[in-house]
Amino acid sequence: MMISRRLFLSLGLSLSAGLLFSGRRLSWGASFPQFFFAQIKYRGGEWDPNPQFVEAITEELELRTSIDASEERRTTALSNPDLFFYPFLYMAGKYEFEPFTEQEREILRRFLTFGGFLFAEDTMGAKGFGFDQAFRREMKQIFPGHDLKRLLPDHSVFQSFYLIGNVGGRQRVNPYVEGITVDNWTPVIYSQNDLSGAWARDKYGRWINDCVPGGESQRAAAFKLGINIIVYSLTSDYKKDLVHHPFIKRRQSL
Amino acid sequence: MRLDQITIIPIFPLWLIGLLFALGVAAVVIQYRLIRKKLGNLRAAGLSLLRLLALSLLISFALNPSIITKEEHKVPPAVAVILDTSKSMGLPGTGGKGSRLDEAKAHLLDQQGAFLKSLSEQCEVKLYALGDSLRVLEAGELASLKAGGKRGDLIEALKELKGKNALVLLLSDGDMKWEDVGSTDLPVIALPVGDPGGYRDILIKAVKAPAIAFRGREVVIDVTVKGYGYAGLTLPVLLKDGSKLLTARSVRLDGSPSETTVSLPFTMEEIGQRHLSVSIPSQVGESLATNNTVDLSLKIMKDKIRILMVSGSPSMSYRFMRAALKNDPSIDLLSFVILRTPSDIINVPLQEQSLIPFPVETLFTKELRTFDLLIFDNLASHLYLNPNYYDSIRDFVRGGGGFAMIGGPHLLDQGKYVGTSIGEILPIRLTGKDDYRRNPPSGVKLSRAGRVHPITRFSSAETGGKEDRLGFWREMPDLDGMNLLTLKSSATVLLEGTDGDAAPILTVGGYGKGRVLVLATDYSWKWYMGMVAKEKGNSAYLRLLERMIRWLTKDPSLDPVQITLPERIGGIREEIEIRIKSTEEDVSGTAKGGVSISVFTPDGTKMGSRLKPTGQPGEYLGSFVPEKAGIYRLRIETQTGFLEESILVPGALEGQDAMPDHNRLRTVSASTGGKFLSRNDDLLKEVGNYAGKVNNRFLEEKRFSVWNSLSLLILIIACLSVEWYYRRRWGLV
Repeated sequence: MMISRRLFLSLGLSLSAGLLFSGRRLSWGASFPQFFFAQIKYRGGEWDPNPQFVEAITEELELRTSIDASEERRTTALSNPDLFFYPFLYMAGKYEFEPFTEQEREILRRFLTFGGFLFAEDTMGAKGFGFDQAFRREMKQIFPGHDLKRLLPDHSVFQSFYLIGNVGGRQRVNPYVEGITVDNWTPVIYSQNDLSGAWARDKYGRWINDCVPGGESQRAAAFKLGINIIVYSLTSDYKKDLVHHPFIKRRQSL
Repeated sequence: MRLDQITIIPIFPLWLIGLLFALGVAAVVIQYRLIRKKLGNLRAAGLSLLRLLALSLLISFALNPSIITKEEHKVPPAVAVILDTSKSMGLPGTGGKGSRLDEAKAHLLDQQGAFLKSLSEQCEVKLYALGDSLRVLEAGELASLKAGGKRGDLIEALKELKGKNALVLLLSDGDMKWEDVGSTDLPVIALPVGDPGGYRDILIKAVKAPAIAFRGREVVIDVTVKGYGYAGLTLPVLLKDGSKLLTARSVRLDGSPSETTVSLPFTMEEIGQRHLSVSIPSQVGESLATNNTVDLSLKIMKDKIRILMVSGSPSMSYRFMRAALKNDPSIDLLSFVILRTPSDIINVPLQEQSLIPFPVETLFTKELRTFDLLIFDNLASHLYLNPNYYDSIRDFVRGGGGFAMIGGPHLLDQGKYVGTSIGEILPIRLTGKDDYRRNPPSGVKLSRAGRVHPITRFSSAETGGKEDRLGFWREMPDLDGMNLLTLKSSATVLLEGTDGDAAPILTVGGYGKGRVLVLATDYSWKWYMGMVAKEKGNSAYLRLLERMIRWLTKDPSLDPVQITLPERIGGIREEIEIRIKSTEEDVSGTAKGGVSISVFTPDGTKMGSRLKPTGQPGEYLGSFVPEKAGIYRLRIETQTGFLEESILVPGALEGQDAMPDHNRLRTVSASTGGKFLSRNDDLLKEVGNYAGKVNNRFLEEKRFSVWNSLSLLILIIACLSVEWYYRRRWGLV
């Protein structure tokens, strides 16, 4: 099995960086590393459509950013009391799932209202059916006053690391992502383009899924958006600070 | 004797006297009728008339008739001679020879006191001095009298003299308190001293300034300059903070007198009580130089706490801190997050990057002093900052800035702070490596110092009603990562790990005028989410962070002692009271709760002061009496530290505008019905003439009772004796 040239370069540079700055990134095996994926295991449907998505996006995160990330992925039920210490809650699926219990909804509401973050994606991409329908139903219950809305191009998530103009993914169901915004913070970001499908790689380093219709540039855009979402989850609206404005404006006009 | 001189004062009620008279007349008539048959009409009538006469005389005694006589007497008028002894009377008088007070005394004491002697022959003279108050001058005191009191209050003085005096002779330059209050019934003859025509002075007449200003925002002070005798002169008005010039403006005096107001805009960058001065340079020939400067006190406050935070990477620690700081309207946060390190590889062209350059040079050489607090959050700073910037940070802290380091693998930058300025200011001893531990998780507990320190001394309301503060911290979730630190002896640990080593988690210290804090964990955000998970809200983390920020930036609200200075500071020798509120628990067992006050004069010497409890818990009243103008330093000491404040005591306002105000004297004399004398008038003659017009006579009234007259007694006895003689002769006895 061949690995892509891009991945080869990434691995090589990651290794170099590790040697040069050996004190920076150690695998601590901590109880709660500063960043890792915590995936919600819900009842019904298919909670883990892309089980091998973590490695490539974490490597990319390590290679491009200063984030101290762990490649570990934890799965969690919503009733798990440790949920509140997960920096990045991830939820994916293809099909409709069983409704959350009122207690689960209350926990998720409290988690998201007080600073938690959830990235959810419909890997099937069927609007109004399956996972999409079930997820929207739950969000309506959890945030009755807030709808999932398209995030505008100037939202921090499109500027947190890369300046993103187009949204990638394994598929191109929507040219946008959606989110629930409370005050200046978007604790829920939702995509139907199957970003994790674009990130997924087998144990030999080969991409599991092709990206259609855009091919590898669409995959690269999926990685960029993934990094931006993660950086956003750890910096919030940092890029909205005034000090960034002139630089971002100038680069967008290039 | 005239009838109108007679008056009666009955010794019995008139009705009783009338009744007795009627009974007497009736008895006489009855007797007449009885004796008429025996003696005949003529003899009976004679006896009855005698009886009636005696009865009438007796009855008239009961009416107590008196004769009143009135006698007119003349007395010499009482004249009060008032000498103005206020400070302005010490300034040069007419012709520049001697003071204005000397000029006034010369009027009274010329020719060995001939004036006073002559005046005393015509009038009853009493001398008074009017300065801080009106006081009687003893004999012989006049010659040695000196000027120096406050502006006298003439209205109060006239109220005191009214009724006892017929006339007031006032010798003054006119610089005194007066307002027209209508007739005073006490005429004032005003004799002016001083020479308005020859007076030359430039003074700061008024300064209009706010009591409070905000750091970094423009403040405007309006200064009114007045000049006498310097028409056409242009001169600078200077605003200084100590010896440092803040701003200056020029003013031109167009006439004489002339008054010009100039605005002095300036901006203060240092917070605290500032003592500023507005001054104009003294000019040649000025009569008075002390009124060329006015001191004022201005409290500079932060409108916002300015924080510069640099985070080594995006992290939960950064996001939770950022959210808390951004949500605090009193905080102005500028944060930089290192999104990629020099070893990270960027794979897109510039137009697809949102990364901005980290403006280290601008921040750490020019802008740092404009912040109150610098936070390094798990920052490998050697990658971005050179040692010169470390020196800037040290100077920033030494000058009063706050510095906080938030933990993580890069807290101590892999030991690279050893031997740098950062190592100098930190309260921890550097070992040359980052000793960061992620496992096993550790809980936290309050140290002994943490129980009383303002950062961690939460009230029971802040701990959700928990009285047990130790229990409150035990409830917090474990920390998954912590830096293992070695402390300097000067460090104070507030929170420590619950494992056997009791590793310091939250450590504070001081350097120069600044404060330093090290939070040896990058998992403090778990205190936020841990309490949220327990449905206990997020206030514990937010309150801790807020207190850390406020302590680092020396927010007065966190001081264990609060000092309230009086809104208005009086003048010299006026008691100043300072309200002191201590939030510390009293462990001293003394009435003053371990609080003490020391007051230092402008010379730096300690002076007497008093401190007493107000009756409210933890409240005290300190007081002292300043003996001279200047800045007094207060030091309030408590069981855990001290607090310093300063108070500006202004000089006597008297003398600010010392131009002789003869018009005021004209007004005084006109409104009291007196007279304004010129220097050439014959003082004795004018006073004599005026005193002569005053009605200084009185009537003496004398009363003589008629009943004690011997002739009337003889007349009564004679009447009765004649009646008895004829009665016996005519055989009735």
